[in-house]
Amino acid sequence: MIEIENLSRKFGDVTAVDGLTLTIAEGEVFGLLGPNGAGKTTTIRMLAGLIGKTSGDAWVAGCRVGDPVTARELRGHIGLMPEEAGLYLDLSAARTLDFYGRLYQVPAATRAERTERLLTMLGLWDRKDARVRTFSKGMKQRLTIARALIHDPPVLFLDEPTANLDPEGAKTVRDFLLQLKRERRTILLNTHQLTEAERVCDRVGIMHTRLIAVGTPDGLRGTGSARSTAIQLAVVTDAIVAAARTTSRADVTVAGNTITVPVDKPERDNPRLVHAIVAAGGDIQFVSGNVPTLEETYLKLLGSENNKNNENNENNENNESNESSQKTGNNDKVAR
Amino acid sequence: MNWQNVATIARKDLTIMMARRSLRIGIAVLPIGLAVLFSQIIAHAGITADALPQYLNAFLFFFMIYTGALPATMASYSMVGEKVERSLEPLLATPASDGEILLGKALAALTLPLAAIWAGMFLLMALCDAVTHATLGYLYFPNWLAAVTVFAVAPLLALMAVAFSVLISARVSEVRTAQQLGGLAAIPGIGLYVGLVSGAFSLDLASLAVMCGALLVIDAGLALAARATFHREDILTRWA
Repeated sequence: MIEIENLSRKFGDVTAVDGLTLTIAEGEVFGLLGPNGAGKTTTIRMLAGLIGKTSGDAWVAGCRVGDPVTARELRGHIGLMPEEAGLYLDLSAARTLDFYGRLYQVPAATRAERTERLLTMLGLWDRKDARVRTFSKGMKQRLTIARALIHDPPVLFLDEPTANLDPEGAKTVRDFLLQLKRERRTILLNTHQLTEAERVCDRVGIMHTRLIAVGTPDGLRGTGSARSTAIQLAVVTDAIVAAARTTSRADVTVAGNTITVPVDKPERDNPRLVHAIVAAGGDIQFVSGNVPTLEETYLKLLGSENNKNNENNENNENNESNESSQKTGNNDKVAR
Repeated sequence: MNWQNVATIARKDLTIMMARRSLRIGIAVLPIGLAVLFSQIIAHAGITADALPQYLNAFLFFFMIYTGALPATMASYSMVGEKVERSLEPLLATPASDGEILLGKALAALTLPLAAIWAGMFLLMALCDAVTHATLGYLYFPNWLAAVTVFAVAPLLALMAVAFSVLISARVSEVRTAQQLGGLAAIPGIGLYVGLVSGAFSLDLASLAVMCGALLVIDAGLALAARATFHREDILTRWA
């Protein structure tokens, strides 16, 4: 449903999106995770045909992004929920949906039927004639979801749909996202709410200008952060720690009566570890596996990406300073 | 061009504008107030019958220049209001083209103020006829000069104010600032006023025809510039 090939966008000298390649299948909910300024909003704007691309290609619902011939058709296939609600405060909820429905060429009867259905589902039907100005933040956010769905689009781009909402409001929106997922809509969800991504998304991508990692939330947890096994013992002795070290290449840590041993494959490594500890006279009380959270994985991957960028910047600066000192040297020679 | 989209956008803007009390009052009070004021000045200034036609023409012309602020105000609300409410992105995400959005907004900013200006002009002419009939012995309005002023010069000045406001709106992010800068659109009108008062030209059909020609050229230039400014990508990435 969404094909992206080496998509890039620069604003002057600044690269906002760098060589993004990604395929999102029909009915898939894909979460794009990343810090502010990672290029998530720029990606959505490019895919929605709102801004151009610097290079690369993309197709959404069969329409080539950036093709002026299919620009209207492309936008008709997409429901966009931007980061800022952008509602007309002096229009009512019903009038808002009617306005957008008309622009999407939805017939009058269908518009009325969908307006009632969406506002009812999102708990706004009782306030359909009230001006948006009188709505709470959560109500406005729900209305923006209804607005994105008024033309029943197969593809949804949602940019931070639960940002700035209280937990109750965020849950309402998240529940609705799960319903949209059941309806098999293709959804690209920009978020830095990692729990939201874990609950809603089939796959997530971690982005920091470029795509750093892609996978299912479960699969990504194993990327970048090691799993470990924690074993609580009656007493930890040097012999037990030494035995544990024989089973793992990584560092074994001891905290009180618990030793934590990094493992590559728990189903293979844990039996060996337990045998070794028992053989060293260990009295095992509890064994538990520690799987890194998506947040840990995310932070670790972004951390290594930042380190890489810093190293590159330093290398560039060194190269530039070497070049400039060589030039200065040459100038000095000329001057002499 | 999808005219249904143009009409939908214009209707939406008119609904939003009319929801604002300050705009409603401005649109209703300014033309009526000026019409009453000008007619009372004519009634009580003791102008002789020989001089009356010249004053009546001038007052109708001044009326049009003073009320020219209305379309600029509306256009500022229409454009900068969307910027302030951050509602341009979802609007641009619809299948409506940039041209349809711009035209819809321009129509909304133009139609209501122009209708109010016309209503005010008709009221001014009727009141002036009422207070000068005894002196002149005939009804001065309507006449060809007034018809050209009302139906040609006034719409062209209003269009200029709207196109100029679109250009201003791309640069500012506050409605008040846009309105203040939009006042610059009154400069040609003030120039005409000064020219008229200083006797540089007289109000006759020939000079109005020249004026209309000049306004047409200015309007076309400003409209093209406004269309070039109103570009989807620039709105999202460069408009403050």
